[in-house]
Amino acid sequence: MKPAPFDYTAPAELSDAVTALAERPETARVLAGGQSLVLEMHYRRERPALLVDINNVRELDTITADGDALRVGALARHRAFETPTVAPGALGRLLSRVSPLIAHPPVRARGTMAGSLAWANPVSEWCATAVALDAGIELTGPAGSRLVGAGEFFLGPFRTARQPDEILTSVRLPLLPGAETGTVGVGFCEQHRTHASFAQVAVVAVLTLRDGVIVEARLGLAGAADRPVRAHEAERHLVGREPEPDVFAQAAALAAAGADPLSEPHAGVEYRRHVIGVLVRRALVQAREDSESADFFSGAGRDGHDGWEAR
Amino acid sequence: MTGRIPVRLTVNETPYDVTVEPRRLLADVLREDCDLTGTKLGCEHGVCGSCTVLVDGEGVRSCLMFAVQCAGRDIRTVEGLTADGELHAFQEAISAEHGLQCGFCTAGFVMLVVGALQEDPTIAEDPERLDGLLASNLCRCTGYEGIRRAVLRVYGKDGTRQENGTAED
Amino acid sequence: MTGAGNYVGDLKVAGCLDAAFVRSTVAHGRLLAVDTSAAAEVDGVVGAWSAADLGDDLAFVPPFFPSAGGEDPRRCAALAVDRVRYVGEPLAVIVGTDRYVAEDGADAVRVDIDPLPALVDPGEAAASSTWLFDGVDNVATEMEFGTPIDDEVWQRAAVVVEGAYRQPRLAPTPMEPRAILAVPQPDGQLTVWVSHQAPHRLRRDLASALGLDAERIRVRVADSGGAFGTKSGTFAEYLSVVGLAVKLGRPVRWLEDRAETLSGSTHGRGQNQRVRLAADENGRMLALALEVDADVGAYPNTGFVAAETGQAAAGVYLTPNVHARIRVVVTNTTPTAPYRGAGRPEQVYAVERTVDLLARRLGMDPAELRRRNFIPPEAFPYHSPTGRVFDSGQYELALDKALELVDYTHWREEQQRRRRSGSERPLGIGLCSFTERSGLEQAPMANEWASVDVAPDGSVTARVGTCSTGQSHETVFPELVARTLGIPPGRVSLIEGDTDETAQGIGTFGSRSMQVGGAALHRAALELIEEARRRAGEPDARYADGTVITGQRSWTLAELAAASPEPLRAGGVYDTPAAFPFGTYVAVVEVDRELGNVRVLRLVAVDDCGVAVDPEIVEDQTRGGIVQGLGQALYEVMPYDDQGVPQADGLLGYLLPTIGELPPISLDTTVTPNPNTALGAKGAGEAGCIGTPPAIVNAVIDALGPQPAGTATDIGGMQLPLTPETCWLAAAGQEVAR
Ligand SMILES: Cc1cc2nc3c(=O)[nH]c(=O)nc-3n(C[C@H](O)[C@H](O)[C@H](O)COP(=O)(O)OP(=O)(O)OC[C@H]3O[C@@H](n4cnc5c(N)ncnc54)[C@H](O)[C@@H]3O)c2cc1C
Ligand code: FES
Ligand code: FES
Repeated sequence: MKPAPFDYTAPAELSDAVTALAERPETARVLAGGQSLVLEMHYRRERPALLVDINNVRELDTITADGDALRVGALARHRAFETPTVAPGALGRLLSRVSPLIAHPPVRARGTMAGSLAWANPVSEWCATAVALDAGIELTGPAGSRLVGAGEFFLGPFRTARQPDEILTSVRLPLLPGAETGTVGVGFCEQHRTHASFAQVAVVAVLTLRDGVIVEARLGLAGAADRPVRAHEAERHLVGREPEPDVFAQAAALAAAGADPLSEPHAGVEYRRHVIGVLVRRALVQAREDSESADFFSGAGRDGHDGWEAR
Repeated sequence: MTGRIPVRLTVNETPYDVTVEPRRLLADVLREDCDLTGTKLGCEHGVCGSCTVLVDGEGVRSCLMFAVQCAGRDIRTVEGLTADGELHAFQEAISAEHGLQCGFCTAGFVMLVVGALQEDPTIAEDPERLDGLLASNLCRCTGYEGIRRAVLRVYGKDGTRQENGTAED
Repeated sequence: MTGAGNYVGDLKVAGCLDAAFVRSTVAHGRLLAVDTSAAAEVDGVVGAWSAADLGDDLAFVPPFFPSAGGEDPRRCAALAVDRVRYVGEPLAVIVGTDRYVAEDGADAVRVDIDPLPALVDPGEAAASSTWLFDGVDNVATEMEFGTPIDDEVWQRAAVVVEGAYRQPRLAPTPMEPRAILAVPQPDGQLTVWVSHQAPHRLRRDLASALGLDAERIRVRVADSGGAFGTKSGTFAEYLSVVGLAVKLGRPVRWLEDRAETLSGSTHGRGQNQRVRLAADENGRMLALALEVDADVGAYPNTGFVAAETGQAAAGVYLTPNVHARIRVVVTNTTPTAPYRGAGRPEQVYAVERTVDLLARRLGMDPAELRRRNFIPPEAFPYHSPTGRVFDSGQYELALDKALELVDYTHWREEQQRRRRSGSERPLGIGLCSFTERSGLEQAPMANEWASVDVAPDGSVTARVGTCSTGQSHETVFPELVARTLGIPPGRVSLIEGDTDETAQGIGTFGSRSMQVGGAALHRAALELIEEARRRAGEPDARYADGTVITGQRSWTLAELAAASPEPLRAGGVYDTPAAFPFGTYVAVVEVDRELGNVRVLRLVAVDDCGVAVDPEIVEDQTRGGIVQGLGQALYEVMPYDDQGVPQADGLLGYLLPTIGELPPISLDTTVTPNPNTALGAKGAGEAGCIGTPPAIVNAVIDALGPQPAGTATDIGGMQLPLTPETCWLAAAGQEVAR
């Protein structure tokens, strides 16, 4: 389990990294946290001829609020999202619920959110989060930067819209302000087997409530298809209804019916489909409860830019 | 850059000048080039944690980093804990509490715990957080109980930890 | 712990080469070609060999039990010849200046295989007309224990229940995979450092397989990163590594990696079982029949594992009619070998699940049913219908203690409360009463060699043929010798696992070390005291605290050792019959019916391993075993697809429990001395993984019940491991609860 030989470069400037990658885009790979890439290289399923290590590019190591989005640089590690203060309000709460379920502390210390999106494992928690939130994904290549919506970014298992000569430079997660539109509640549930395993299914739920009625619903699913998806039908069903158990159950059934999960040794298609339904319902319940407590502690919960630290 | 690359690694505050292929894992370079064999390789894919070392104070898998990535960084291995000839309090505790049998996983657990609890000793006060941390690594022999007890012995409420992180016994 | 351990991979030998293997990715096929020419060209590669390249130098693994008549038709070559029989089988070996280049070399080898149908299930393999080995069918051995049970017995019985169970294949997964380093010396000697459980046998086998002189081979067991049975064989890879070290005249090592060990080393368990159990209306057992197809994998070197399942068939129960039929079958999968418990966990699982089935059928409390059937204490030594002699036991005592420790009544009430409430997660309680076997009954393996020497400075050296792979011998054995001699433990040092230093030895397995190795050391130490008295010329003198004392004078051991050039020593080979530790485990679980997730709320283990020499170390072994048992119950299995391809190549696929998966565990013991040794100790170390899986599975079935009345069979029902999917299916009544 030792990697095949490769060339290595670790520039300090983004432009140099872009240039290095552009020289042989088909055989080069970007090295971020390495927590997926190096593993694959051990099995020699990945044999890049050149590694462009971006860990020295300081400008990528940032998390900043940028207008109405949180701009997460390519070097922001999973760990940075463990505490809710990483982002204002509901977004911070959501990210801090998701992060602790990704691997374990030593892997979270290295692995990056951007790397997870670039890798596009269909059961990745961050990928489900990105589609749920309609994140913007910034790609930088020799021709400059472009922004791709998460909905268009994921093309299949480990396949994305990123061109081989592009670096994923940042992820833009819309803040979930609520204040004018209503109260935002977030929920996150996943089914995994042991603390060491990946999720079989994960569900991100974001509900915006006004006057006791759901005005917006976002459901991001991991493990429900060959890529992260939103449960659009279930979302439509929720909007305009009250956050009641049978409404959640109906939404859950729609999400399960619409899913097209892949089979794996210990979770056949039927089981996964069923789990999607259960977790959608549970995540929705969590989101409602979260919105209630957010409402109660209004400040930080609703718009609370206070209590939030930029990095 | 092709072929071998000269790198200066700082391990346990000691500089090591090595010339290595970029593909060589930090773990292999520590073991083979720096003769620091306390760090073990149990899976080479990030799961078992036998290879856990501290890089800039954080516990990481040395099987998922290349040595060439670590130039200029502060690397700590299990050997660094005993530099003055005395065992670290947590090492003492893990032995006293039967936290090891074959010992293959031990260095990884020691670095995991020492790294995390140095930064935040309150982890030991919350059983859930402590399990969350210890669940990072695998031990096939002990059933973990002795490892957990060892953490509490040193870092727990009535633990022996003192301000400087060493213990009386 | 200081990092100063000396595992094989830590040993630094100048000029050492690393080996890597090319392994079959096809389960069954004709091996048309293995082309190593490109590999030999790779920078840093010293050489690359297939079986064809080795020609007459190709070695064969010596059989565990040498067969009487000629060449074994199912023998295993160091590198595959003509045919591949499992994914992971070594096809070529590459030696390079380091492991990286050796793997580059392995990449460059071209292999051509013409696939044949793969046989994955032992039942199918036994019936198949496709044979793994030309000229012999797939049933390697058939064994019978007890006498066939009359039809009349079944017909007359008030109840007969029947279960069919699958014991999945488990990967033993010590944290350190296999490791070996062969160092040829200029004087023609050969030192082999290895992480191993049986160095003396390995030396013998290496010599015979490679045509070397055993006297010139020194096998030394380095620190070992766990074994659990998987490091007791003479492996094909070892023959290649040692053979090439000799051929090249250079040190060669092989440090197996996790990907190769998961399908390339050995698996444990792997049985298809069918159990029939008859009882009268009061629940008294009348007959038990056990049929097993034991999957021995591609090369049948270890049929004795399954023999244990048959010989132990009825377990702790007084059953007049017991019959076991065992077929050991070859399949296109990784060879199986002893894995912690080796045959006992399989037997106990089959019986304990069926006993619970019987309890449900009779509407009887499972604890009460067990109580009615235990072999009573006064029946020992007990001769079982399958030909086993059990030494001693107080099975009911262990059961009672376990029920008390877990607070059985409380949980039964809680279970009822939850059932009535309807909404909460169902709760279940599961029991497992078992006896294990420590040490071996077969004559040549029921003994161990040990010696104790005193130097003129009073220091004592104890040598024993067992070796420590994580059982803390280095603490326990010196203490035992010191206690026997009445001297401070610091004066005793232990040597084991070195064939030059220990005259012979069987090794460490079957939980035998403490019982057999410890007993041997104990007797050697007692003989040393006799020897000391003789030396003092006072055969009837008193002996205390390292001193021979008469009314007039006294001699310390050091003085007696210094008094003569002849070493003060005692030792030899000491017989110890097999012993039968026992216990009862209780698990309390709740099940999330929607997701199928099992949460173990409590696990209680009451073990009796006689007089424990060091209770803390026994407890450590038990805890470790329990966690492996938990893994077996809920997580662990090496799945194969229809083509015979194993579906896990790492620890993200083969799941071991982390600390996060552990329930609260309470341990206690009862003490029934081993009547056959002076120490009274029975082996310890395997109980945890014997008692835990059935207790958990019974608890889950209990939670998902109550079963429809009249259920007599449990066939096609829940199988190990209890994945969420399995439990969800069961909860939904789709497969089980028939
Ligand atoms: C034991 C273990 C358990 C894990 N458990 C989980 C889990 O539960 N959930 C989960 O989601 N993940 C899990 N992971 C994977 C982990 O989260 C990885 O960190 C993540 O998948 C990839 O991020 P990375 O920064 O490490 O990327 P790398 O490994 O460096 O790269 C992964 C891929 O993305 C490309 N890439 C990375 N960054 C960029 C970029 N900025 N621009 C262009 N391409 C880029 C690389 O070229 C490579 O192809 C686990 C990993 C391990 C070792
Ligand atoms: S060897 Fe690095 S985690 Fe197992
Ligand atoms: S002590 Fe053996 S793996 Fe932990």
